[in-house]
Amino acid sequence: MPVADSEDNHEHFTRLLLESEPVMLRSIQVAVPHRSDAREIMQETAVALWRQFDTFDPTRPFINWAMGFARIETRRFLARESRRAQLSEKAIEALELEMEHSTELDHAIESHLATCLGKLNEKSRRLIKGYYHEGRSPESLSKREGRTVEAIYKTIQRSRGELQTCIERQIRKAQA
Amino acid sequence: MSDFPDWQTLIQKHLDGQSTDEEAGALSKEIETNAKVRSDYLKAARIHGALGDEVISFDLESTPPRSSGTPSISWAKPLAAAVIAGAFVGLLGVGVVWAINSPKSEERMVSVSNGNFEDSLGPVPLGFPSGFGNWSGDPAEVIEEDGNRILRFLETANVTGKPNGGASACNVFQLIDLSSLQQDWNTENADSQFTLELSARFHRESAPTDAELPKISGSCTIHLYQAAPDSIGKAWPQVISEAVAIGNKAIRLEPGEEGKRITASCILEPEATLALISVNVNAKKHSTTPIKLGGYFVDDVQLTVIRQPNLPVRVVK
Repeated sequence: MPVADSEDNHEHFTRLLLESEPVMLRSIQVAVPHRSDAREIMQETAVALWRQFDTFDPTRPFINWAMGFARIETRRFLARESRRAQLSEKAIEALELEMEHSTELDHAIESHLATCLGKLNEKSRRLIKGYYHEGRSPESLSKREGRTVEAIYKTIQRSRGELQTCIERQIRKAQA
Repeated sequence: MSDFPDWQTLIQKHLDGQSTDEEAGALSKEIETNAKVRSDYLKAARIHGALGDEVISFDLESTPPRSSGTPSISWAKPLAAAVIAGAFVGLLGVGVVWAINSPKSEERMVSVSNGNFEDSLGPVPLGFPSGFGNWSGDPAEVIEEDGNRILRFLETANVTGKPNGGASACNVFQLIDLSSLQQDWNTENADSQFTLELSARFHRESAPTDAELPKISGSCTIHLYQAAPDSIGKAWPQVISEAVAIGNKAIRLEPGEEGKRITASCILEPEATLALISVNVNAKKHSTTPIKLGGYFVDDVQLTVIRQPNLPVRVVK
């Protein structure tokens, strides 16, 4: 491949990957919820995509092509790792199928999540921020908050449940 | 949703890696056969994924847009003093005042030259920056609006100037020297993890080309390199493969929508000597010719280094 073509190819690839990465990461997290695991899969996917980039048809959406690789790397990861309990292959397939028919869901979540976060109480917001943005473990949050690890987990999980309820309400309101 | 077992609780436990093999097996069977549980799982997992999004996290405690010169994220209130004091030592490249977020988390602003665009007016120099501390890139200009100076993205281009090169984005870059930061912070210290966060506030106004650009988005990107500053532009874009780390964050705004701050982050590897930061707008359509933009603006670009254990990071080798 001529050098100029190679350079353009590389830049093109990088831009496409950077644009698609957030969506891919969130999709991977459906099957592999743990963020560092999902990032590991994302990195393996990026390497595989670059190796095969010559076969990418630019007339088709990059994200669709890339997600095929992400699914393969997710399966590989699940086959070799057993550090956390996993969903079955069939369940993951069912979720992936459902995802294809719910493309509006991400947009709705993005639109309403900030609003719904604002409705959480102060303590819940602090924990969500510590857990997700600061990357603190529940153990670390437990020490900081002076609460048990179990209580931290429960609060985070209850907060996500509240967010889900709130987002569903917002979606219904927007549709009304 | 089935009342028994409590699938919602089990879904939430699974997302945190708390489910047992037996519970994950039961949840899997339900996901396969029960559309409501499947749908609930998908929503919960998507929210879990979105919460890891830095934009959302920052918006948690964001304050109204600043006029100029002060940080616009209130959780960084301790940083306000750091910014002010940092201005006195800005020539050193980094501030010297630490903001203690918690006993285990320390933050410091890294000086971005003219990060709030108050020190310039008019077109941004074209082409790739060859040295530290200047904005340059694709066609963009600093304008004044209600007494506040902001950067407006004018049109997409290929920063290398190659004929027929891809021109789907408008990038404005700045190179930041990390050498003193690496020394001051002793980033080889294995007990700590260091992260760089690049944040910027984007807003979008109506523009004549809006209808042609339904997917246009703004983003900020950090690349870390172990290289001389003038070597990056010369080897762009193939040099990207030599990046020590890359972080990117994008946002899609509707015309007239309230401005939002986004944050890209990446691990600060000890070998990185410089950061290439960029704010950009991508038309999200392939083009080899310039596309008029005009409605996207960015302001208040900030770079922060954080020392923190167990932070999720992204490293692209």
